[in-house]
Amino acid sequence: MLTFIEMEFLKLKRSNIFMLSLFGAILPPLLMFIAVFAFDEGHTFDLLFKNVNMYMSALFAVMLFAIMISYLFGREYNEHTLKTMLTIPVSRGKFLLSKYVMFLVWIVILTVVTSLSTLAFGFIAGLDGFSLRLFIESFARLLLANVLLFMTFSPFVFISLLITNMVPAMVGGAGLALVNMLIYGQTWAPYVPWVCPYLIASGEIAQYSTSIAVSYGVILTTFAIGLAISYIYFTRTDVSL
Amino acid sequence: MVDYVIETRNLSKIYSKTSVVDSIDMHVEKGKIYGLLGKNGAGKTTTMCMLLNLTYPSDGEIYLFGKDPKRHPMEIYPKIGSIIETPGFYENLTAYENLKILAKMRGDFNPHRINSVLELVNLSDVKSKKFKDFSLGMKQRLGIAAAIMHNPELLILDEPINGLDPFGIKEIRELLKRLSHEFGITILISSHILSEIENIADVIGFMDSGVLIEEISKEDLLNRLDKFVEFEVSDIDLAIGILETLELKDKRDFTSSGGTIRLYSHLELRDKFNALFVKAGIDVKKVNLCEENLEEFFTRFVSNN
Repeated sequence: MLTFIEMEFLKLKRSNIFMLSLFGAILPPLLMFIAVFAFDEGHTFDLLFKNVNMYMSALFAVMLFAIMISYLFGREYNEHTLKTMLTIPVSRGKFLLSKYVMFLVWIVILTVVTSLSTLAFGFIAGLDGFSLRLFIESFARLLLANVLLFMTFSPFVFISLLITNMVPAMVGGAGLALVNMLIYGQTWAPYVPWVCPYLIASGEIAQYSTSIAVSYGVILTTFAIGLAISYIYFTRTDVSL
Repeated sequence: MVDYVIETRNLSKIYSKTSVVDSIDMHVEKGKIYGLLGKNGAGKTTTMCMLLNLTYPSDGEIYLFGKDPKRHPMEIYPKIGSIIETPGFYENLTAYENLKILAKMRGDFNPHRINSVLELVNLSDVKSKKFKDFSLGMKQRLGIAAAIMHNPELLILDEPINGLDPFGIKEIRELLKRLSHEFGITILISSHILSEIENIADVIGFMDSGVLIEEISKEDLLNRLDKFVEFEVSDIDLAIGILETLELKDKRDFTSSGGTIRLYSHLELRDKFNALFVKAGIDVKKVNLCEENLEEFFTRFVSNN
């Protein structure tokens, strides 16, 4: 598995999408940094971290992850390398699993980049109230939200295997972000897989009457369904040339 | 007993009720170059994809190195190198990096081996160039490098000379012959270019509309190529009349086109026919004893079957 991951990293060398995703991870902190001055959003690290985490995991990450998934899982189809890789031979199950792991690693990298850039922008803006504990807590919340969001994206893996073009992923990601905006604050938000991660990680789930276990159940079920259908599809269909 | 590296029994593939490969029984002997010949859409690529487990058969059995590849995939497939259609590599990576990925995944990464195989296919000068900047011929050569990098015992090559210039074609042809004759590598190569298969293959499998019509060795093929005598005459109707009075029939014994008659039977009597033509006042401009080429044989063979 380590070799698979190492090779996935090599495949990202000189990749525009990887660089764009890093820029994407910096974008919410940058916008919140601008907001500090433009909209008088408050001058504390606590508020900056909260805002970045919310905009990142509830909105921006949804769009970003959809694009990342489409690239990661669809590139072997688009660049016609699947036939080359599978005849090595490589187990189809392991191949798919390594992609999932790589997606998770990529998300962790972006989470680190977002948190560190938020910290840097906070210092540049001269915000008050910094403590290491606050930073670690904020990072842990964002990481939890992004990891849970990763789990809810497994159905997108299936869609990316089915439609390898990146345009549907971009449209779908943007659409889902809009849906998240509409659903956020509604009583049934804890039942929606892509809203749950932020509600759980931020602690806002406590404001709803729904048990946190239900939200975890929704996320796990979404993950299991997505994983199962993507695995079945990938291992049982002919490789398109 | 013949040692088959590839053997299929009733191998079939059906896509939504359309039979693409229809019950083929293929036999590829160890150490031979087997040319799979057929028009575009004959089912060659699908057959190769089924052998490589890229496409799942609808029916039938496959044996590679005498074993069922479904049961022993990790034992069988590392012994195979392949190219299916246009070689696929990561566009943002260099030739060297692409081969490195394959070698690492295979668990036998050796920089010297990668460099020597790139040299073998004349790509060592451009090993640091990104794949997306390669010409079609260079891509094809990199595909061949990837296919032979791990010293396979069997090569499955689908149209490997596509996009190569005449010099490239010659180089690859010589390389494949060397791999087969010096190193005993078995090669299954498909092409719709008849002359290429004729040049390289020891055995030819003729495919059409998903059916493997026949497998013929090169020697058998040479014996089965039709021979004929071509007369170029000044009066075609009179010449045909003479042949018909000798009970030779149009389409069966001879054909005619323009001022030329092709005689397929009684070739030993060609001097007598010539004398009769001259005696009747016909100018015989040319008399050639010819042999059917593979293209003509293939056309006749497919239309007869």
